[in-house]
Amino acid sequence: MLSIKDLHVSVEDKTILQGLNLEVKGGEVHAIMGPNGSGKSTLAHILSGREGYQVDQGEVLYQGHDLFDLEIEERAQQGIFLAMQYPVELPGVNNLSFLRESLNSIRRARGEAELDAAAFMRLAREKAALVELPDKLLKRDVNSGFSGGEKKRNEILQMALLEPQLAILDETDSGLDIDALRVVANGVNALRSPERGMIVVTHYQRLLDYIEPDYVHVLAQGRIVRSGDKTLAYELEEKGYGWILQEHAA
Amino acid sequence: MNNLQQQSRWFENLLEANSDSLNLRAADGLSGIHVQAQQALSDLPVPDRRQESWRYSDLGKLYRQMFRISGEAFDALQETDIDQWIYPKQDSYRLVMVNGQLAAHLSHVSGLDKRITLDGISQLSATERQGVAAYLQQHGGFADDTFGQINRALMQDGFYLRVPQNTVVDKPIEVVFVNLSHDEQLLSQPASLIILEPGARAQVVERYLSLGSSEYFFNGMTDILLREHAELRHQRIQQESSQAYHLSRVGLRQQAASIYQGLTIASGGAWSRNDIQVHLDGPHAECDLQGVYTVGDGQYNDIHLDVAHNAADCRSQENFRGVVHGRGKAVFDGRILVAKDAQKTDAQLSNKNLLLVEDAEVNTKPQLEIYADDVKCSHGTTVGKVNPDQLFYLRARGIDEQQAYRMLCLGFADQVLASIEDQAVRQHVHAMFNRLL
Ligand SMILES: Nc1ncnc2c1ncn2[C@@H]1O[C@H](COP(=O)(O)OP(=O)(O)O)[C@@H](O)[C@H]1O
Ligand SMILES: [Mg+2]
Repeated sequence: MLSIKDLHVSVEDKTILQGLNLEVKGGEVHAIMGPNGSGKSTLAHILSGREGYQVDQGEVLYQGHDLFDLEIEERAQQGIFLAMQYPVELPGVNNLSFLRESLNSIRRARGEAELDAAAFMRLAREKAALVELPDKLLKRDVNSGFSGGEKKRNEILQMALLEPQLAILDETDSGLDIDALRVVANGVNALRSPERGMIVVTHYQRLLDYIEPDYVHVLAQGRIVRSGDKTLAYELEEKGYGWILQEHAA
Repeated sequence: MNNLQQQSRWFENLLEANSDSLNLRAADGLSGIHVQAQQALSDLPVPDRRQESWRYSDLGKLYRQMFRISGEAFDALQETDIDQWIYPKQDSYRLVMVNGQLAAHLSHVSGLDKRITLDGISQLSATERQGVAAYLQQHGGFADDTFGQINRALMQDGFYLRVPQNTVVDKPIEVVFVNLSHDEQLLSQPASLIILEPGARAQVVERYLSLGSSEYFFNGMTDILLREHAELRHQRIQQESSQAYHLSRVGLRQQAASIYQGLTIASGGAWSRNDIQVHLDGPHAECDLQGVYTVGDGQYNDIHLDVAHNAADCRSQENFRGVVHGRGKAVFDGRILVAKDAQKTDAQLSNKNLLLVEDAEVNTKPQLEIYADDVKCSHGTTVGKVNPDQLFYLRARGIDEQQAYRMLCLGFADQVLASIEDQAVRQHVHAMFNRLL
């Protein structure tokens, strides 16, 4: 589904990714861990099409096609979803209208009928219950005045509504207490399916107790320096990143 | 002949071209105000860029044309010609002014409390009409302005609302100003007056519409007197064509503990200017001025606020947002004056502009003039572009770029509209922006 080959990316002449390789197949959950500033969000952003990054080398194929041919919204319409590390507030934009506009944009692009207000409300309520997002937050402006945890739940709600093919979660766990973490993880687990791929970027092994990854990768110095199964996450928790970086340098 | 002579000649010509077309019966009782205004005009400077308050205005376009009051009958105009009433007929009182004159056959005031006056000024008795004129002569706004005096010098109609003491108008009043111009260039210039006696309450929605295809000049004024503890909600919604020259004035006087809640929606035209003059003359009066304006290609949209805190303990809030979505020009000039004795004044002025195109012009000028020493006053203005993080967020959810821009513009405007309690008005304006942006 997703194939990243020798990807080099820079921001304002500063090289961030240098030779990253990653293969994600349907049904797989890949965890990406790594020190702060190692380029995890950069990877997430480049996949979702955010401007400001320059691809210097390499290719990314999504469902067999060059990902970089697609505009931001086209990627979303074709099933890529990024749960953002820092969801932005949209004052004046009502959350429900936004969610409906988003879902219907994607349905239109897929040639499906738009949902009318009643059908959408039913669906939104059902998914909001799944991530335990209070009804009143559906009626507020998008993320406006939401707590950190509420913003993350709103991200997972969007994911649940849009049912993406490839979901990328960028530190969705950071800043969450244990209850919120469980809620978010339930939302993610409910979406696991044989055709859906997931990339879970996290700083802590903690999240991986709830969302069991098939693979764990360590991103450092612009590339994946080590891959393994979930036991790698425990090892990292115990020993930190230092030993991998040393081994890698050697 | 130099420019200035040409311009002052324009006003003379405008008067000449139109004094004959006054309907004498309707104007009965108004000769006093006509004469006084004509005399005042000769001493007033012709508006041009040399005056501070007209500095950004390109009046050249206006001065190149001549406009005439229409004598044409409009009996054929039907209720259904008027686009989207805000309220169903049975839930409101309606007045329709066509080309500045009351269209009785489209108006609907049945069921109104007999003690309340709501009618066209042309329909009043000559004595009543004289009373209205006397108020406007003595206390009306914009007396020192040429366009203001033109409005008086040619006054013949407008609406008049008077609500007696401690009386509440039980339904909103929707006043629609229709500008119906076909081949001729039309002058439409209603002069209206609202008086709420002590403790009276009302809601008035004024709308300005274009029907027809020609250019026209709307030069309308609404004067308002709120006596002690009176409360007025007043929404003014301009939805005119790009052929409109629109000059719209509110002259508001507030006595002690009165409350005014105003909304101004200005969607431009060829040239559009809104002036609001407020005198807070009694203690504990509250004045809330909210507004949204939009500027598209080739449009000029100008907002002038002039709020005078003349008494202590009053509160005013001025909150205007502009969406500049085309190559045009926006002007916001907000002045707050706090007189020496107006202690404990609370005045907050804000103007925010969202700029969607590169080659547009926004001039925003807040002015605080404070002569009292114990006050709480602030002002802030911004001119900004769409936040790229917000745009990315929407697009990353599958919403195409153009729609994402629209949603952000509407969201920007909606932050002002959120303060409107009346859901019907709010939805009407929201839908209008939805079509426009
Ligand atoms: N827009 C940007 N401008 C400048 N530097 C950036 C920008 N985005 C990221 N960086 C830099 O790129 C590096 C990687 O950042 P990021 O991808 O956010 O790391 P991570 O998510 O792993 O913490 C950091 O050094 C960061 O400072
Ligand atoms: Mg990050």
